[in-house]
Amino acid sequence: MSAELKGPQELQSEVIDKQLCTLCGACVGMCPYLVAHRGRIVAMDDCSVSDGRCYAFCPRAGVDLDDLSQAVFGVPHVDGELGIVKEIVMARASKGPTREQGQYGGTVSALMSFALREGLIDSAVLTASDETLMPSGTVARDEEEVLACAGSNFVASPTLAAFHREAATEAQRIGVVATPCQALALAKMKASSLHQGNPIEKLKLVVGLFCTWALRYEDFIAFLEERTQLTEITKVDIPPPPAEVFEVHTSSTCVRLPLDEVRRFIRSTCDLCIDMTAQLADVSVGAAEGVQGWNTLIVRSQAGRELVAAAVAGGVLETTALPEENLEHLKEAALGKRKRALQGLVDKSGSTEDLLYLNLSGEALERLLA
Amino acid sequence: MASIATGKAGTSELFMGNEAIARGALEAGVGFAAAYPGTPSSEVIGTLAEVAKEGEIYAEWSVNEKVAMEVAAAASFAGVRAIVAMKQNGVNVASDFLMNLNLTGTKAGLVIAACDDPSALSSTNEQDSRPFAKWADLPLLEPGTFQEAKDMTRWAFEISEEISNACMMRTVTRVSHARGDVELGERIPPSKNARFTATSPVDFTPYPVPFKHHQLIAKLTKVRELFESSPFNRYVGPERPELLVVTSGACWFYSLEAVKALNAGDRVGILKLGTTWPLPERFLQKNLARTERVLVVEEVAPFLEGNLKEFVGGQMGDAGPLTFYGKRSGHIPDSGELNPNLVAKALGSVLDLEVEGVSPEYVQKAQQLTGSHTHMRAIGFCAGCPHRATFWSIKNALKLDGRDGFVTGDIGCYTMALGPTGYFQVKTVQAMGSGVGLACGFGNLARTGFDQPVVSVCGDSTFFHAAIPALLNGIYNHSNFTLMVLDNSATAMTGFQPHPGIGKTATGETTPIVDIEALCRAMGVRVEVTDPFDLEGTTEKLLDLLRDDGGVRVLIAKRTCGLVRARQGEPDYRVHIDAEKCRGDDCGCARLCTRVFQCPGLIWDAETGSAKIDEVICSGCGVCADICPAGAIINEAV
Repeated sequence: MSAELKGPQELQSEVIDKQLCTLCGACVGMCPYLVAHRGRIVAMDDCSVSDGRCYAFCPRAGVDLDDLSQAVFGVPHVDGELGIVKEIVMARASKGPTREQGQYGGTVSALMSFALREGLIDSAVLTASDETLMPSGTVARDEEEVLACAGSNFVASPTLAAFHREAATEAQRIGVVATPCQALALAKMKASSLHQGNPIEKLKLVVGLFCTWALRYEDFIAFLEERTQLTEITKVDIPPPPAEVFEVHTSSTCVRLPLDEVRRFIRSTCDLCIDMTAQLADVSVGAAEGVQGWNTLIVRSQAGRELVAAAVAGGVLETTALPEENLEHLKEAALGKRKRALQGLVDKSGSTEDLLYLNLSGEALERLLA
Repeated sequence: MASIATGKAGTSELFMGNEAIARGALEAGVGFAAAYPGTPSSEVIGTLAEVAKEGEIYAEWSVNEKVAMEVAAAASFAGVRAIVAMKQNGVNVASDFLMNLNLTGTKAGLVIAACDDPSALSSTNEQDSRPFAKWADLPLLEPGTFQEAKDMTRWAFEISEEISNACMMRTVTRVSHARGDVELGERIPPSKNARFTATSPVDFTPYPVPFKHHQLIAKLTKVRELFESSPFNRYVGPERPELLVVTSGACWFYSLEAVKALNAGDRVGILKLGTTWPLPERFLQKNLARTERVLVVEEVAPFLEGNLKEFVGGQMGDAGPLTFYGKRSGHIPDSGELNPNLVAKALGSVLDLEVEGVSPEYVQKAQQLTGSHTHMRAIGFCAGCPHRATFWSIKNALKLDGRDGFVTGDIGCYTMALGPTGYFQVKTVQAMGSGVGLACGFGNLARTGFDQPVVSVCGDSTFFHAAIPALLNGIYNHSNFTLMVLDNSATAMTGFQPHPGIGKTATGETTPIVDIEALCRAMGVRVEVTDPFDLEGTTEKLLDLLRDDGGVRVLIAKRTCGLVRARQGEPDYRVHIDAEKCRGDDCGCARLCTRVFQCPGLIWDAETGSAKIDEVICSGCGVCADICPAGAIINEAV
């Protein structure tokens, strides 16, 4: 990890001003200066700290993949399209409300509910949206609270602010459901020496989500508001290709918007993200393409493996083999995203020597772009 | 205060210049006094209001200077001697009426006390009021001492009645606010026969204008004659000085001191003028003939200098060749207050004298002596001031809103929000109420690409003074801005004078409260009220109003001035800091309370690495507890 001391000024100039911020929330909730507000990170006042946690934890600043992999898995980063994989299967929640309310197979909800029930964690940091579809981090302590957060609306959420808040309480064992950038930020927290007030040791479980992009809040919501009543929305979804639609469900109807229209609201930083499958999580979960009602589940860490095994044994999770073509397709998509992002970083900086937030040797870059 | 009214003739009292003016008015039998408060003028009517509580005379705080001059003129029209006081900016406000009153004329004596603020110690400008007298063709007096302040006031009433027109008197801060011995004269009782009687249809109008204008000039000629023999004009010095200093007001003392310091009494004479418009021409002619070189010593505008040159230009043959030194020649600074040192420098430069000025040892000693008793700190809001909390919320709301919104400011304590105490939020300041006028303009620039949110702030007293017409204008013309009325229930900056929103008059009588909220609602706009000490609630309300684009919105931040609250009783909280919890310089705080919030009741203890409460200064408002990210600031209910 870079030994340079950097703080809020650099966070502003190197990340926020350059539109690299993912709104993960890793810089929010530790201090009075940085606040997440309607899809933006706002610096309320000038902070005088020169080596701030805001910069140290930022997933779009000073990222050294080897250091992070060491901090999370105890081994260097691997080049494979999907990162470290102990096991990859299809999974779904066993019958019941979890399977019905989950976005696809309900695997994430099942794992978090199970971890809470078994005491593996005592709080789960999740993402929930308010009636204006504004997402933010929230803490669930039982299955009911977990299910209340099920589903995504694809809008970027500063969820990690809730992790900081929770870590500052009596809570001792915290699990987080994280997008790839959020999992990366949590890994940076593990790798960082700046922990005061937020003991990262309390982080016991990271369930990662597959992610290709997230949307800006303010203008996307304005766009949606013109097409439907926000308070009526029950669920939003992107059915698998080749549908190319963004579905907005209300209790009475379903509005299908061309996906291209929605893509206009993608945060530009998402195009510069090299990680589709949350490579720094204990387990990663996404949709199983073409298989209705199932998730793809990647087991990455020993803790992840134990959790999945216990959940299956405990009857809350079912797994089955992932079809080979699905695996190939997933690898292809992950690789494509990584290549596009690396090329995007080179284009944005104008140099193969400068990948903005990524510390990557020229040799490594060449290898990954090959 | 009692001595202003009760001091016996022949006794001597230590009076502030403004008190001396008030006493002079009482000695002249004043029956009516009005003003809008403004530094350095406020004590003239403030003092008379104390006397008015006894019921013999009437005094009021008017809503603005124009109204003050109008109510005073009405008293004059009805045969009651009246005085109206204002600071230099106030003369501008009153000038629309003044420029018609001069043509109209007066009945009973009407004195206008204009108190100027050279160097703008408590003003937005350092305008010179004297040109108004010349402009309006009215007599002008300039007292240099406290005795003169009293005596000239009494005389001003006589002059006013002599010419049936208003008489203006100009002081500066160092006359109005300094104190000195004043020997008192007899008081005469005010008229008890007030009655308005017009002898012709145009008696109390400027009509017919050319005729009344002609009369006005004729009156001025009469005044000039009065001034020729005035004891307030005098010459002291050698029969034929090398250099003649012509000066007036407080500058007379600076000149005396400078001549003495340079030991130049045998070379320099001082011509002190107490009547500076119209000029006493024969008197001047006599004294100008003593010399060939003239240094004009005056503050703010080269008013005397210009008038002297104009006079000499018309009298070239008699006065002989004269060389003038002053502001135009650069010998006297073109701006700011003068002092003996500056005058000595000018004298030294003209007379080719070595000027030492104040010795460095003296300066050092003075600094040591004062430094041991005072604590250096930046100009800012008091501990417990609601404005600090309000601007904290304004700052936060504008930051969160993120559209580069800004604040147009106005006149009052909250003007200080230009600086760190108000987090640099206020971006414009001009005249009373003009922040709202500017907001009206900014808020109608959408067609030219403007998309920034505009917030205008004005105090409760300023709201009544001049903001209401601008607010109406904004509503009428579909402007787009948020007006924040910072209602601290006081005209705080000038000394807590009451106003229409308080429920008390200048003499302490109960009067109906004009409810700002109800007034704004009656104009048909969205009005919200907030307690500035509720930081989160205020921020949210303002954010919501900012987003409620289109039209004028009003947010009233209502919380009594901290100093008024402190006088009223116990503080809300006893505040202390848990040093264990205080994060100090660490990441996660970086001294938010002492470095950013900056209430003077909070101090940083570098030794312990913790913030501390300065118990002498802390007013116990408890607001800082809400900004502390560590919960280390603890409010204990008293």
